[in-house]
Amino acid sequence: MKKRFNPKTSQKIAFTILLLSALVTIIPVVVIIIVVIKNGISAISWEFLTSMPKNGMRAGGIFPAIVGTFYLTIGATIFSLPLGVLAAIYLSEYAKENRFTRILNLGIVNLAGVPSIVYGLFGLSLFVIYMKLGVSILSGCLTLAIMELPSIITATKTALNSVPKQFREVSLSLGATKWQTIRYAVLPYALPGIITGTVLSNARKTGETAPILFTVAAFYLPRLPSSVFDQTMALPYHLYVISTQIPGIEKNITYGTALVLIIFTLSLNLVGIIIRTRLRKQKKW
Amino acid sequence: MNKRLYVYVLIMMLIYAIAGCSRNSGNGIQVKGSDTMVNLVQAWAEEFDKENPGENISVTGGGSGTGISSLVNNSCDIVSSSRQMTAEETSLAVKNGITPKEYAVALDGIVVVVNPKNSVYKLTIDQLKDIFTGKIKNWKEIGGKDENIVLLSREINSGTHVFFKEHVLRKGNPKGPEEFASSCLLLPSSQAVADEVSQNSNAIGYYGMGYISKNQKIVAVAKNEGSAYMEPSIKTVQNNTYPISRPLFLYTKVDAKESIKKFIDFAFSKIGQEIVEKTDFVPIGRIKK
Repeated sequence: MKKRFNPKTSQKIAFTILLLSALVTIIPVVVIIIVVIKNGISAISWEFLTSMPKNGMRAGGIFPAIVGTFYLTIGATIFSLPLGVLAAIYLSEYAKENRFTRILNLGIVNLAGVPSIVYGLFGLSLFVIYMKLGVSILSGCLTLAIMELPSIITATKTALNSVPKQFREVSLSLGATKWQTIRYAVLPYALPGIITGTVLSNARKTGETAPILFTVAAFYLPRLPSSVFDQTMALPYHLYVISTQIPGIEKNITYGTALVLIIFTLSLNLVGIIIRTRLRKQKKW
Repeated sequence: MNKRLYVYVLIMMLIYAIAGCSRNSGNGIQVKGSDTMVNLVQAWAEEFDKENPGENISVTGGGSGTGISSLVNNSCDIVSSSRQMTAEETSLAVKNGITPKEYAVALDGIVVVVNPKNSVYKLTIDQLKDIFTGKIKNWKEIGGKDENIVLLSREINSGTHVFFKEHVLRKGNPKGPEEFASSCLLLPSSQAVADEVSQNSNAIGYYGMGYISKNQKIVAVAKNEGSAYMEPSIKTVQNNTYPISRPLFLYTKVDAKESIKKFIDFAFSKIGQEIVEKTDFVPIGRIKK
């Protein structure tokens, strides 16, 4: 067989292709951020962030949408974090490898692959109509919580698995019970991973429109919601609404809203990273 | 430490339990439905809230069909709809223990629009019917240039879509056989129709009067060959000379609570009807109070 290229040349070609692929993947992100900042920065002001929409949402601010997204993020975490972490502890520490746990794991993996609009419709039929919670913050939080569960469970399991086996062995050999072992020798060390996983999945879900579309999102509220049974505005839905439904809205308001949403999710990510590094410093092995 | 964990688990269970209880239907007015009317209802809510703070009103779009089905499911208080409820929908609601009450609160002309570059400026209902059913495929057949017609419509959830089908395609017979041509693009919002028409020089679409803008050209419409071509305006819609106009509705339960009735009254009030005009719809003409 004839050699077409010498190895050095093919190495160079391979490197170039790999480098280009890496560059291409970040182009969309960079372009999105540049376009959004360029068009939206002029809308951002203290009033835009802290006042109610006025004049058919063409003026004023997006305060209720920001608050709504904040409520939904916190609310969803309240439901999903404990349930997800407890389930993950059971699955990775207690459950034996058998058909039942295999089905359970398969179910969780599949849950992660369900399209978000299906979660939205599921939330509508279960929480809104069947459980009679109505279109409300509660229904929205529960829907988002179910959507977050698989990623929280997966993150928690990974975090638990990354705690060295010796920690458990030493603890058990000292006569500690299994629960004591998990509680004092495993969980504290898995915590940074769990929290990062939760915050990251939260950040992603915060930007979702489909699950809140039927369960909580309102086109417009003249004031902030007063209970968990009220509807609320939310940033992703508000962005969708002002870019599709409002004739003659200024372009910078739409882009400004997009910018706020991006900053919101990015800063959530940042919070997750900060918490992780803090906890990592405390628990080192 | 352990104790705290138990307390936390207990609190969680309590929250789940509360979540299990049904919604206390005391506070708030939820208005849901027509995308055509959503800006009108939003403007009503904004003004209504100034006069009645604390009523906790919320406005959601989604389409007339979406709104009506939530009234049937008892998951909203007021439905805004750009079409009348059908007999099936009413009987379904009654079966669920809800008797709907209808209020015609405003009028709307459906505007047929083309790109400003298009030379076509008037059409009869019959021509519109042939265009949207796909019988007329090229602009030159109706006096334009030799280009294929791009059809734009709202999706089937939209009251505007249903009204256009029943009153233009089927010419007033709701059970007629005519359908939109399969080449017709179904767009998710009126604004999407407007945007597409302003970008595509071969497009034709329709929307409510609230969306009229300089970027689309309004087509004058005649009932039939012999009659006058009319453009939609407050006057032509109110005196019924513009051929494709319709009432816009609010629906509530018959036994609606006081705050809901107050909102309906507000919509009919002088201020409410001024808002109708300000959002480019047509006041109903007979103002209460």
